Amino acid sequence: MLSGLSRGWLRPRGRKEDGRLSRASGSATRPMSLESDLIATLGPERVHSHPLELLVYDKDAGVTRGKAIAAVLPETTQEVAACVRLARKYQAPVVARGAGTGLAGGAVPAEPALLVVLTRLNDILEIDAEARTAWVGAGVLNLDLSRATEHLGLHYAPDPSSQAACTIGGNVATNAGGPHCLAEGTTVVHILGMEMVTATGDVVMIGSKAPDPSGLDLRGVVVGSEGTLGIVTKILVKLTENPPAIRTMLVTFDSIQAAAAAVSGTIAAGIVPAALEVMDQPMMIAVEGFIHGDLPVDAAAVLLAELVGLEAGVAAEADVVERIAIEAGATSVKVAADEAERALLWKARKSAFGAVAQAAPDYYLHDTVVPRTKLVDVMTQIYAIGESHGLEMLNVFHAGDGNLHPLVAYDAREPGSEQRVRAAAEEMVRASVAAGGSLTGEHGIGLEKRDLMGLVFDPVDLDAQARLREAFDADGLLNPGKVLPTGARCYDYDLGELPGGGAQ
Amino acid sequence: MTSLRAELAKLADGLLSDSVPGAPETDFTISPEKVDDAAAVLRFAAKSGLRVLFWGGGTHQGMGNAVAADVVLTTHRMSRVIDWQVEDLTIVVEPGLTVADLEAQLQQRGQTAVLPETAPGATVGGVVAAGLSGWRRLRYGPTRDRVLEVVLATGDGRVVRGGGRLVKNVTGYDLPRLVVGSLGALGLIGAVCLKLWPLAAAQGMVEVADPRVALSNAYRPLAVIETEVKAVVYLAGTSEEIAAQAERLGGRLISGHRWPDPPTGRWELSLRVPAGQVPRFVDRIGSHGWAYQAAHGVGEVRFAVEDEGSGELGAMRREAEAVGGALVVMRAPADTDLDPWGVVPESTELQRAVKAAFDPLSIANPGILPGGI
Ligand SMILES: Cc1cc2nc3c(=O)[nH]c(=O)nc-3n(C[C@H](O)[C@H](O)[C@H](O)COP(=O)(O)OP(=O)(O)OC[C@H]3O[C@@H](n4cnc5c(N)ncnc54)[C@H](O)[C@@H]3O)c2cc1C
Repeated sequence: MLSGLSRGWLRPRGRKEDGRLSRASGSATRPMSLESDLIATLGPERVHSHPLELLVYDKDAGVTRGKAIAAVLPETTQEVAACVRLARKYQAPVVARGAGTGLAGGAVPAEPALLVVLTRLNDILEIDAEARTAWVGAGVLNLDLSRATEHLGLHYAPDPSSQAACTIGGNVATNAGGPHCLAEGTTVVHILGMEMVTATGDVVMIGSKAPDPSGLDLRGVVVGSEGTLGIVTKILVKLTENPPAIRTMLVTFDSIQAAAAAVSGTIAAGIVPAALEVMDQPMMIAVEGFIHGDLPVDAAAVLLAELVGLEAGVAAEADVVERIAIEAGATSVKVAADEAERALLWKARKSAFGAVAQAAPDYYLHDTVVPRTKLVDVMTQIYAIGESHGLEMLNVFHAGDGNLHPLVAYDAREPGSEQRVRAAAEEMVRASVAAGGSLTGEHGIGLEKRDLMGLVFDPVDLDAQARLREAFDADGLLNPGKVLPTGARCYDYDLGELPGGGAQ
Repeated sequence: MTSLRAELAKLADGLLSDSVPGAPETDFTISPEKVDDAAAVLRFAAKSGLRVLFWGGGTHQGMGNAVAADVVLTTHRMSRVIDWQVEDLTIVVEPGLTVADLEAQLQQRGQTAVLPETAPGATVGGVVAAGLSGWRRLRYGPTRDRVLEVVLATGDGRVVRGGGRLVKNVTGYDLPRLVVGSLGALGLIGAVCLKLWPLAAAQGMVEVADPRVALSNAYRPLAVIETEVKAVVYLAGTSEEIAAQAERLGGRLISGHRWPDPPTGRWELSLRVPAGQVPRFVDRIGSHGWAYQAAHGVGEVRFAVEDEGSGELGAMRREAEAVGGALVVMRAPADTDLDPWGVVPESTELQRAVKAAFDPLSIANPGILPGGI
């Protein structure tokens, strides 16, 4: 613990008449403070509030920055609940944080907040091989779970490229995806239940190992809620059987459009491969410089396709994918000969963003989604947008899901560069939405896309989402300022005003 | 009632219909043609303090607490296919379309919505609202994993859309998954977008002696169903693939799929337990000579009982609840003492608040969920 800060925020604050938190800061200090209460609960080692200590928490892996008033490292559900109750007492907003690898600013406070960091809830609590389920703490790293279940012939299917670093709690909060979510589904499909600390600091269990919970099934809205409905402390996940046979193919094309056409064609032919990923030439060059894997850097684009299942089925589907690729203009098709070759291809795919991060001073990673039939069209527009803003763009994306990830490399020190990057970002989102797509396929809304929500939802829809959020958190304590634009809850719905007259 | 009737008749011009066979006697039966009409009726009902019961095919009205209703809102005039993106494997349909009609259309293009295989008369809206999944969920997951977008006429007459017509999307809260299994407690489902799957080239079945062993020997079968008569593994894939599976299972491959009809009786029940517990409960149900269908690997056992006298259902319910499961009543005689749901979930207070966010005056299928939500 370091001291000497202005701690106006630490005083218990009054409530405004409308029941919302008043966040006016004052300067008077009191003997009792949020900080001292937190220290009394967790001890000084696990409460950080000095500006230097907080530096690591002022951003996630995206571009937005914010300020925490303190960060705490609870180790149990009860400690998380105690922190939430203390924050409530002092009316300080609460932001849950996993590993901070998010890209939408979800874990970045929109206004000074108490950061509850879940990384110490990192025990794998139970693995049930027969039921193919596991209970894990929210802070368990994604890849650690698959490693721990490997000897049972099982794995945890959602595999974000950040899987070595991100937490399963963070994955739940963002409904994370990954290359293998094409056939297996994103995180939400694999979450059977969770223990959650609510906005009132209570602990509630949702779901179980039994199918189809009775009553309203709240699991779906909690997944992907970006820490706005509760803090997830334990998670019951489904484990997936490792496939008996795998075929991984690398197909080269002389245009990105041809690669995208091969993807659309494969889906239209009724094949749902385990993964269908596309990488363009600039990205391939960056990755090659990073991993030295002898990638086909002369090709304009490559398609990484993986088929899994029984040998007989895999062979038949691989033939179809190859035929469709050749019809779309493939220039070469290479099948990974063994596990080492396969591993190299996946290493290339999953280290793509890391490769750029190393090469470029700054980068901005986008995430939009479009119908699979519109891939060729939208990719063409995305390149044109990048060009019109004079931006260097690299692409690697979950093509089979229609999930685009244009990545813009830039140098923030160059005057005006950030504005150009953000302007291009919005144009890309608009192009995706115009094609029937949406704002985000897996990274979430967070702060980054909050103000674009109106592009896909009417005021009535946004108001309904705001009401849903209020049902979980009436006072707006949890991750305020995220997901929904300000004023979302202002759609005034008064039964009395409606046609027919005669309010009750 | 007369002035209400006049007002409602004006509002629901041409939409008032005769009462639906099987539905409770109510003052009004209304069959809207579009979601906006349904919302207008709900708005009026909320203002007038009328309680509304939603009616699809009427095949699962036995679920949940009994609903006292003043208005029955049927979906049979809302049964269009709104938008089928064959090449993107998505389809948007209205709630009154029957599952059988939908699947028949999809089959012509080699696709399926993986909705229940044996539910004659059931509608898409009803199946989604009841949270029912087909047998093939072992391979393709439950219905909740394929509802991509929903349009809901809320209990206070708003028309709210959530999700999107995309197979992957995290834009906003997942209303589609919230609506699945909500039994109309949030409002009327006006349309859903469903994710489709391609139908496999070949389909087959293998009869097995031990379903538990079969489950671990087969690679991702569509279903492993045990009934009081036999246990069958359902397969799909290329013909080579299913032949290889049959060999692994050590049984004769029968081509095509024949799904068992749901067991019928005075009491029809759905036992929901962790998948590993299925054999234990199957033994117990079998010992009474009751007809059953157990979905191995899923954790659901459907069974039917003619005469409950002994209190055995209550005892089984307690055992199921002890392992995190439930015994849900799908249909029961009107005078039964057996609660439709059993113990209320831990999240009931949150659920109550969520219901109020969509149906503040509690007029949409009021009280149907556990805890009288
Ligand atoms: C190189 C790189 C590659 C990536 N690749 C992918 C990818 O392939 N697919 C993908 O989906 N994402 C990807 N991401 C984004 C990111 O890794 C995911 O969003 C991940 O799920 C975030 O997990 P985290 O533990 O880092 O969460 P954080 O970033 O700490 O938090 C993310 C959000 O979740 C909330 N949160 C965290 N923990 C909890 C909890 N226990 N309870 C409630 N709310 C909580 C936070 O408040 C915040 O809103 C990538 C990121 C990077 C940097």
